Amino acid sequence: MDWRRFVDVLSARTRAFFRRQTADAEAHDEIAFHLAMQTHANIRSGMAPADAERAARRDLGNSTRINEELHEMTTLPLVETPWQDLRYAFRMLKKSPGFAAAAVLTLALGIGANTAIFSVLNAVILRPLAYPRPEQVMKITTTYPGVDEFWVSPPEYLEFRQWTRSFASVGAYNNGEANIAAPNRPLRVRLMAVSDNLLTTMGVNAELGRAWFQGNEATPNGAKVVVLSHELWQSAFALDPTLVGRSIEIDGVSRTVIGVMPRGFDVADQRVQIWQPMVIPPNPNRGSHNLFMIGRLTDGATLESARAEMDTLLATWRSRAFGVSTPATSQLHSPDEKHRLRIDPLQTRIVSNATTAVWVLQGAVVLVLLIACANLSTLLLSRAESRRKEFAVRSALGAGRRRLLGQAIVEGCLLSTMGAVAGIGIAFVGLRAMVAAYPDSLPLASSVSIDLTVLAFTAGAALLTGLVFGIVPLLHLSPDLSATALKDSAARGATRRHALRRGLVAAEVAFAVALVVGAGLLLRTVNNLSGVDAGFNRAHLVTFGISLPLVKYPAIPDRRTFYRRLTEHLSATPGIVKVALASGLPPYRVVDSNTVTIEGFEGRENGAWNTIDYYQIASADYVETMGIPVIEGRNFAPSDADGDAPVAMVNQTMARAIWPGQSPIGRRLRRCCNPTAQWVTVVGVLGDVKQGGVDRKTGTELYFSADRTTLPTLNVVIRTGLDSKALGGTIQRLVRDLDPSLPVIRLQDMDEVFATAIGRPRLIAQLLTIFGALALLLAGIGTYGVLSYMVSERRKEIGIRMALGATRPSVLRMVVSQGLQITGAGLAVGVLLTLAIGRLLTSLLFGVGASDPVTIAAVVALIGAVALVACYFPGYMATRVDPMIALREE
Amino acid sequence: MSKPADLMQGTLDLLLLKILALEPQHGWAIGQRLKQVSDDDLQVSDGSLYPALHKLELAGWIKAEWKNSELGRRAKYYELTHAGRRRLEHETAHWRRVSAAITRVLQLKEA
Repeated sequence: MDWRRFVDVLSARTRAFFRRQTADAEAHDEIAFHLAMQTHANIRSGMAPADAERAARRDLGNSTRINEELHEMTTLPLVETPWQDLRYAFRMLKKSPGFAAAAVLTLALGIGANTAIFSVLNAVILRPLAYPRPEQVMKITTTYPGVDEFWVSPPEYLEFRQWTRSFASVGAYNNGEANIAAPNRPLRVRLMAVSDNLLTTMGVNAELGRAWFQGNEATPNGAKVVVLSHELWQSAFALDPTLVGRSIEIDGVSRTVIGVMPRGFDVADQRVQIWQPMVIPPNPNRGSHNLFMIGRLTDGATLESARAEMDTLLATWRSRAFGVSTPATSQLHSPDEKHRLRIDPLQTRIVSNATTAVWVLQGAVVLVLLIACANLSTLLLSRAESRRKEFAVRSALGAGRRRLLGQAIVEGCLLSTMGAVAGIGIAFVGLRAMVAAYPDSLPLASSVSIDLTVLAFTAGAALLTGLVFGIVPLLHLSPDLSATALKDSAARGATRRHALRRGLVAAEVAFAVALVVGAGLLLRTVNNLSGVDAGFNRAHLVTFGISLPLVKYPAIPDRRTFYRRLTEHLSATPGIVKVALASGLPPYRVVDSNTVTIEGFEGRENGAWNTIDYYQIASADYVETMGIPVIEGRNFAPSDADGDAPVAMVNQTMARAIWPGQSPIGRRLRRCCNPTAQWVTVVGVLGDVKQGGVDRKTGTELYFSADRTTLPTLNVVIRTGLDSKALGGTIQRLVRDLDPSLPVIRLQDMDEVFATAIGRPRLIAQLLTIFGALALLLAGIGTYGVLSYMVSERRKEIGIRMALGATRPSVLRMVVSQGLQITGAGLAVGVLLTLAIGRLLTSLLFGVGASDPVTIAAVVALIGAVALVACYFPGYMATRVDPMIALREE
Repeated sequence: MSKPADLMQGTLDLLLLKILALEPQHGWAIGQRLKQVSDDDLQVSDGSLYPALHKLELAGWIKAEWKNSELGRRAKYYELTHAGRRRLEHETAHWRRVSAAITRVLQLKEA
């Protein structure tokens, strides 16, 4: 049948369906007309009128039957039958509300978990970034051996931008922060300095004003302008439409607002609040790597072609940049074999290592749903047993096998749909709680939502679930259904059904093992991460930042005065034990890679280089406030602040890397590449601090005195018995008293910051623990249910055994050991499954292997214990069987 | 008394289409026409006539219209649609091929 005929027929049927009442009446009239004609003909051929009509009716046959047949034809079987089935299914569920509630709850949890995690998967991995042609947007960085993502220097950016043919436009940016003077109070905002074309490279226009820089706006002494995010415009300026064209003060500098970006716009998931022009000086420093590039491919180009072009560029970069005769400078100073460019889709880089976490969670919830399905299948299987008679009666009354199967599917889908509706509610609440508790633990978290894609996924999952556990219980129903079941107990060929049920329960146990092991490994990971010694005492530390605008505090003495007074005022506050200043705070520090000149050290081939991972500009009180041990030599002294003999301290890692086997005390170093810089003498060696986070390897650290080099932006570290909430008011007031234009930046408790820093493993651990617990519960219920059913089915046999002298303990043992056989098989399969798929977790773990025997053993013991409890109750029921009653039954 | 041959499946549709190709008719007249033409060799019970007609109607081969009949009562008159006419040609050709084939087989002589 070609499709047009199909449409014709379908529309004819649909029309008939909707005008059925008329159609029924017409059919009735048609038959009546036929009878009238036949009667008329009969009379004409000589019959008496009464006989004539009777003969006509006889010839026609059963007219009601015919009318019915005609009626059937006007129905739409695909609509009508499921509707009947649906009403029937509703009635069946209303008759067993306990079963219905259990089933819907199980499904709601299973489908809800899937919906929630799929929303995350959708937002983080599946949904393209919100730019036009997002697949063309690439992030371009550099790499060198041992460092995957490094910055680009301004000359490298300008050269690449000029030479590439694969990219239609290449922009650059770097991140920072700034103080802004909002109408009612000073704010600290996330800033992005962007090249003239970066925002247009993204392909997004300003919501208000413009998003590109023109004239002299991107030159050193040009007009000062800024673009705001919609979110900042809303929170700080109440969506004031006249803001564009006006000036706001940013770090003490007045800048004209030229545009507002649309809601939700961001460049690389950094929740940037203001964009301002990046000013590249006329002769930029080739060694100063401080930019990332974002490029948009030309329409014909692909990632592969861009990478191929990049290889070609790299091969000739040096000669093009310096001319052939120019000798090679430092390897970091120009792209070459070691210092390479790297091109990746922006989305890949934003999501980076979260991909594994999200897929692991999705896998986990699929397992949960499978367990829920298996559980419901066993429940429905038991129901199918008790409904064998019903099915048989319906079958005998003419319901085809197809109809019975349809009925089972409709029942399954009804349950799963109700479960899905409740599940969407659970997912909604769960997601909100998750994003609120872990706003920074997953990329693109703010875009996680239950959208149409997610709803489609949920509908698909519900349908599939309904089909699966609707059909599975019917698998064992024999073809000669009606014949055997009506005779009921004669047909207890139970082996096949029991095998199916046992298999389902064993599968539940196996999946539960995998889930609980996963949860266990992540819990241990969190535990290990929390237990890492960060190198200082992080309890009872409150920190905040201050950033002095250079225009207002241009010279070191100005800043020193400010910080000295702030420190004094804070130290005088009751509850504050000690106050110190430092340029960087663990655990979020990014490697600085500052090059220093070290007397008598030229760097080693494939070994330590004279780039230092972390500079720390710290006050003399810092070491004591933080609780960092002095290993050798001495701490900064107040007397180091002035005079002609600047001093430094190093950490143990740096001491070992630069001066292995020797004492660093008395060694001299100075800032790189400036022959006039003053030599600085090392006076102390400090313990290592995990500056970049507890899961990173310790870097080399070099301390300078903040009392001498007072930076505009410093962190204040407070050792106190109070917490940030209690101190907040006092700190705000003290800062305001000194300078009302200064915002207090990130007032936090150090241990909370460390807790947040391991937020992702903590989040995964919590979710997996929830899923694992759910799996365990379902598997326990499944085991219990199947065993109870088997006991109730074997009452007679147990009765006979007991009549023949079996003791209660032996009956208990029999039942429990049967249950444990099922669980044991499940455990064994589960352990194998865990060993097989555990590797997927490796990148999420810290300090524990994916096949950690202790965790696996503990999980096996735990699930074994749960199974034992689940088996004990049916076993106990079996011992209560009264042989006299059991034998008389039926 | 030998029973009239049961109609092969699908054959009734062909006969109905053919009769309606001659002129539009109502159900009773179609039944009469069938009996006359086939000399009662092809018996179509009145009971199966109407479902067959409705089926053809739903399939779009024929369409129906209520008109005044010879008795003065309104009756449902069926007529062939364009698609039905093509269907009839197709089915007729098919029938000819099949019956010719069957005839050839039946003419085989025993050795």
